[in-house]
Amino acid sequence: MASSAYCRRLEAVLFAGLLLAATPAARGSEKSEKVAAGDSPAQSVPDKQKQIATEASNMPFVYTKWEQFTTKDGLPNDHIFAVKVFGDYVWVGTEDGLARLNKKTREIKCWREEDGLPWRVVGAIDVHPKTDEVWLGLFGGGLARFSGGRFDHWHQLNSGLVNDVVYGVAIEHDNVWAATTAGASRYNTVTGEWSIFTEKNAPMEEIWNYGVCYADGLVYLGVWGSGVLEYNVERGTWKDYLDPDGEMEIDLYRDDGIMHVITTGVSYVDQTLWAASYFGVGRYDGRHWRCFFAHESGLPSDFTNAVKGRSAHEAWFATDKGLGVLADFGTDTWVTYTSDHDAHKGKAVVQRGEKIIAEFETMLNLPHNYVLWVEFDGDDAWIGTSKGLGHAIGECYFPRLRNEKQIAQAIRDAIIFRDATLHRDATVREPVANAEMQNSE
Amino acid sequence: MNTRLRTTCLILSLGTCLAWALTIVPAWAEEPAEQDQTTTNGSTIAADDEGLTTDEADRADIERLLEAIDVGPYQVPELTLKKDHNYAQSAVDVEPFRHVTPYKEHFLEQLEYTGPGRSIPEPDHVDTVKIGFIGPIMGTVSVATGGKSHEESLGIPMLRGAQLAIEDANERGGYTDRDIPFELVVSNDNGLWGASGNEIVKMAYRDRVWAILGTIDGANSHIAIRVALKAEIPMMNTGDTDPTFIETNIQWVFRCIGDDRQMGYLLVDYLYRKRGFTRVGIMRASNRYGRFGVREIRDGSRRLGHPIILEMAYQVGAEDYSLQLQRLRDSNVEAVVHWGDAEDGAHILNQMRAMGMDQPYFACDRCASDEFIEIAGTNAEGVICGYPWNPQSGDADFEAFRATYEQRYGIEPTTYAAHAYDGMNMLIWAIQTAGLNRAKIRDVLAHREKPFKGVTGEIPLSACLDDLGEVFLARCEGGEWKYYSREDWDIPQGTIAPRDRVSRKTASD
Repeated sequence: MASSAYCRRLEAVLFAGLLLAATPAARGSEKSEKVAAGDSPAQSVPDKQKQIATEASNMPFVYTKWEQFTTKDGLPNDHIFAVKVFGDYVWVGTEDGLARLNKKTREIKCWREEDGLPWRVVGAIDVHPKTDEVWLGLFGGGLARFSGGRFDHWHQLNSGLVNDVVYGVAIEHDNVWAATTAGASRYNTVTGEWSIFTEKNAPMEEIWNYGVCYADGLVYLGVWGSGVLEYNVERGTWKDYLDPDGEMEIDLYRDDGIMHVITTGVSYVDQTLWAASYFGVGRYDGRHWRCFFAHESGLPSDFTNAVKGRSAHEAWFATDKGLGVLADFGTDTWVTYTSDHDAHKGKAVVQRGEKIIAEFETMLNLPHNYVLWVEFDGDDAWIGTSKGLGHAIGECYFPRLRNEKQIAQAIRDAIIFRDATLHRDATVREPVANAEMQNSE
Repeated sequence: MNTRLRTTCLILSLGTCLAWALTIVPAWAEEPAEQDQTTTNGSTIAADDEGLTTDEADRADIERLLEAIDVGPYQVPELTLKKDHNYAQSAVDVEPFRHVTPYKEHFLEQLEYTGPGRSIPEPDHVDTVKIGFIGPIMGTVSVATGGKSHEESLGIPMLRGAQLAIEDANERGGYTDRDIPFELVVSNDNGLWGASGNEIVKMAYRDRVWAILGTIDGANSHIAIRVALKAEIPMMNTGDTDPTFIETNIQWVFRCIGDDRQMGYLLVDYLYRKRGFTRVGIMRASNRYGRFGVREIRDGSRRLGHPIILEMAYQVGAEDYSLQLQRLRDSNVEAVVHWGDAEDGAHILNQMRAMGMDQPYFACDRCASDEFIEIAGTNAEGVICGYPWNPQSGDADFEAFRATYEQRYGIEPTTYAAHAYDGMNMLIWAIQTAGLNRAKIRDVLAHREKPFKGVTGEIPLSACLDDLGEVFLARCEGGEWKYYSREDWDIPQGTIAPRDRVSRKTASD
């Protein structure tokens, strides 16, 4: 749990940045100036309080504290396809093995084929909350259960798994759902019964399943070529979400339905469906679709590998050009994270729609900008990339935008922090400030 | 100049001599020969202000590309991305929802690969340079293709074309950088729906191939390319004409054969703008090939003001088509378009004629085959099919390929053989140029500026890496197929608006 003092100081750093960013020049341009000490206009802080409060009240939480894990830290491979947090463990599926990171001890334990893992490529992970069993979707190797130190293996030739190329796994009650490249399979772990869903018994225009999730009695399948399918567990009925224009090469109207039929990921939370595709992303609240594209939002790229919804208001999108976080749906506020590994630093850009509000330099954030997976862990998040695992540390995290009490306190702290910083003739660059704070903890 | 660049230049120089020592050398397999043979404007025409010849300019382009992609795991090279003014060269009047400016348009700008793959070093030791092949080469029961498999007659020639290209490359010294022979790793994709996925995974991770060529059936193709994306391996398609194959935004996928969209546009123009039909019916296979193949015929007909009167589907391999044909006859259609395999298409034509239906018969490229003529006999006369290339162009490269193929296999090469030969040679060229790195192999294929010149003609790749080369119509005349271009028959075409659609305003601007 983060200390209150730490959180206040962190906020002070961010607000001091806002103080500097809230210059006439910055406000007058579409893109704000970078937050850095060299840009300081040294204007009267009290005169700016109202404006800062306005700016600040629009500000989402920005993750400035990160850490990275790679093969150097003990991961079996840097190409991370899946991450699942359960209890003290972070389970990591890679292109060459399974890893388990103990959050307390930082120990990483690995399993490869020689250790009994049925197939090297672990593309999906879920944990059964009742049994703690770890279920693995093996990319080309079927489905595996890791329990009691042993791997059990199901594949096309020994079970009802419809195909061995498994892209997604989700636990629903006693059932394990597997999204495969040739339909979806459901395995009842109590009765041992298998069900197969393809074009013959589900509204799959195509059967190339990509993602699966379960919440609140509904299973969602992201299907390449068939949009999103919703399965009502109680009723056993299906509902499909397709792009109404029916054309691959255009999106006729933005919010007339799902953005494209080639979907890559689904996430359902707070009765809100989030969907990803290689053509943008979308949100469905049960009545309306709202779609987002890179040219008009903080989505780094339309090519989105995965999505994870945190609430009805917040979702994280794994793209090929960084991590896009829709921090507050209601105000269309985004935070986009990218890293410059060569310079060993990162950047967080806050946007409202297509307008950039602020840019923050951070410590190195994403291990790589080619992002493949997102998993939440309380206020933290774990990010799977094609070159390592990232950990976004959410100390002082708050959902959506700041409230008035937080703003008032933050401004007071920011004034103190800013004055002290300027007097020291030091920068307020985030990596430095963060390093200081980490040390002071 | 890095090692790779120096090696490439050496290969290119040696290629000039080797090219003439072999019966068949695709122009682009040996760069200097390519320029000499394929530069339609003359190989010595100055290409730029610096006075470079076209050959030298092309080589310089490749060198610049290789330099650009020589990056670390965290860098993304700044490469010129292809931009198309119109998706698939679609005429304005056959574009979807042409009266409405869409909110967003896709496939007009080339996608980048932004992952770390370019930094993976070439392995120290390999016995062979493996390239994967996946296609329908063994008979089986396939859910994907609608029951008993039926595409081996297409897949086996495709395999032979690929094998021939590998053999040619090995005769020229294999992977010349290290004197290592190429090896074709062959897989069958004709199993249960999804078998192609397993096979590609195996080739990518077990066999460690550097690129893969293959797939004909649209369902298997989509499965395969999803795996190629995740495993990050270049995939060259030479036999699937499904338009949606390329409409998936995958940076690792290429196609070197004209698709059903292009052939559909040409057929629609011929049916309505040239022949003036107003009532056309469709007879198609009840599988993915039939369902997606006729989409452009159906949509194009409607958009030109002549909606398809009736579309009937049949089970692949059925013996009795009378129900569907009666319905078409009762609909008073003036012409019938068939989309399915040659065998079914020929039987349908025979039953049509036996029922007294004398409507002109049009079909997809699969029907432009000897098998069709053999079954349909004299009924085949006058049948017109779309075709992705012109085998009777007299192209010297193709004639040489034809001779070698006939000598090797005792039969004429089919379209699947010729395109597989081209596709495999494109992969070999890319490997010779980029080295043993999948991402760089992808890069040189995707960012090569000059169209490839294969035995099937020029292969210009679009922004979504699809073949935008000319397509043709094949007509059965005297028991043989003759091929005609749009120009040969003076077939009108709608306006292809020369507008910049990448940067033009859309509804979202």
